[in-house]
Amino acid sequence: MEAVRTGEQYVARQRAYRLMLYVLLAAGCAVMLLPFFWMLTTSFKTEAEALRIPPQWIPVSFRWQNYIEAWNAAPFGWYFFNSFFMAITTTIGEVFTTILAAYAFAKMRFFGKGPVFAILLGTMMIPGQMLLLPNYVTIQRLGWYDQYQALIIPWLVSVFGIFLLRQFFRSVPDELRDAARIDGCGRFRFLFTIMVPLSKPAIFTVALLKFMGSWNSFQWVLIMTKTATMRTVPVGLQLFSSEVGTAYEKLMAASVMAIIPILALFLFTQKQFIQGVARTGIK
Amino acid sequence: MNRSKKLLATWLNKLVALWWQLIPLEWRSPTFWKDSAWAYIYLAPALIILGVFTFYPFFSAFRLSLFKVDIPNYPGQYIGLDHFRYIFGDKYFWRALWNTVYIVGISVPVTISLALLVASLLNKSLRFRAFARTSFFLSYITPMVAVIMVWRLMYHESYGLLNYFLSLFGMNRIAWLNDPAYAKPAVIILNVWRYVGYQAIILLAGMQGIDQMYYEAARIDGASGFQAWRKITVPLLTPQIFFLLIISMIGSFKIFTEVYVLFNGPGPLKAAETLVYYIMRQGFFGTQHLGRAAAASMILFAIIFVVTLLQMQIAKRRVHYQ
Repeated sequence: MEAVRTGEQYVARQRAYRLMLYVLLAAGCAVMLLPFFWMLTTSFKTEAEALRIPPQWIPVSFRWQNYIEAWNAAPFGWYFFNSFFMAITTTIGEVFTTILAAYAFAKMRFFGKGPVFAILLGTMMIPGQMLLLPNYVTIQRLGWYDQYQALIIPWLVSVFGIFLLRQFFRSVPDELRDAARIDGCGRFRFLFTIMVPLSKPAIFTVALLKFMGSWNSFQWVLIMTKTATMRTVPVGLQLFSSEVGTAYEKLMAASVMAIIPILALFLFTQKQFIQGVARTGIK
Repeated sequence: MNRSKKLLATWLNKLVALWWQLIPLEWRSPTFWKDSAWAYIYLAPALIILGVFTFYPFFSAFRLSLFKVDIPNYPGQYIGLDHFRYIFGDKYFWRALWNTVYIVGISVPVTISLALLVASLLNKSLRFRAFARTSFFLSYITPMVAVIMVWRLMYHESYGLLNYFLSLFGMNRIAWLNDPAYAKPAVIILNVWRYVGYQAIILLAGMQGIDQMYYEAARIDGASGFQAWRKITVPLLTPQIFFLLIISMIGSFKIFTEVYVLFNGPGPLKAAETLVYYIMRQGFFGTQHLGRAAAASMILFAIIFVVTLLQMQIAKRRVHYQ
């Protein structure tokens, strides 16, 4: 055992300890935020400022033209349209298929329920990259290569979403359904007028994760499309980067534009977003 | 004659009754089959899409790996195990495997340890905690390609911030993206930076689920803060740590975008070529060897499968559930 410390020593030690914690936290935040800060300031610099060493932390004057020049240097209009189109349609579609499937697993009795659910969970262990190649062949044979179908239809289902929503649906008491049925409410109507509104937080989580995943997806789009007007923002940005050479200020302006939609979504829905992601860790 | 007929009839009856006994109670009611039909209507959209884009490709990947794949004359010429023979004799395959193991072996433990530290910090009642949580999380939600662009600038040999900081400490410049010795570290640093916040959020959620009663009991018994952390927090977090270990190992085995975008290729002298990069190079970049890529992806699947099974085995013995 340590000797008993006097009150003053204890307070001093506590204070030093807390100071250390703050220093650690501040250092961590600085490391995490520095790349974003650097991206943002560089996007407003002139080319000479962007490449200056020692670094120019804040540009002398803010060059908004970088954004316009970057936007015009590549078909960013198409990239953004495609990204939004893909993210919104896959999100809506996935929410719909997920609600239906999760309801069947949570509230219906049917032949083969246990085995089918187990097989679905098993598919979560298959690495997507292994499926990329046979899927590429399938997409080619279906004639969907370089078409919107290839970007959207395979992504309309998520087993993880079904799993998450099933857990939520199961917590809704069965009495509610029985009461609704006695009042003459059909299964389908019950699902969409009672279950869905009750499960808004879980559905919102599924939708957010999907939107984010769609917006950020890269490898699939890279493989399944070839014309510039079919590319999405991440793939377009990668192409742009190999064209601009050392014009880092334009590249950073384009990167900031690619981040803004997700950042806005995140800042407006921060609480649900973080809770949703945290929920992915609770099995 | 009549008697034997009767005997046969009773035996048949008994047999039918026995079969009837074997059928689960549920299956005997017609409403069950009606419900089943409805359930499959509800499941149809999900099952059809999963069937075409998950189940079918899973099995056809095995098949394609035995063919010299030719899409117009699908599936092409059967060549047995030739692709596997080629791959196992290809030094770039072994190099890709080694690069992947190297990146996984360093970035997974480093990320989890840092995340544990960050989560412990965020779990303290400090000011600016919400701000800190957001800033740690930002790297995970932002599109990877956009983020890699700024890392490319920061890694730049002459204009990069990293070398500028090194020069402040009197150290030499490093050609992060052009020196084969630093290609893998560059990928690892990027990877750790990107996932540490995500992992910290998962661990933090786990920490907040721990009953305060344990800490009070520990305090009464005279345990220091660090002892409580080591003996209570960490053991009770093992389910989350284990979950992160599995998904981050699987995730790191599948690294591709980081390398492809950071180097605009497989890195100097292919020094950062990973397994998935190797698959992509065989299948899609340059001459298309789709069958060979399918064979390589079988090997990736086998590795991930074995790693997951091993971890499950370890988890049985080592993970504490509350």
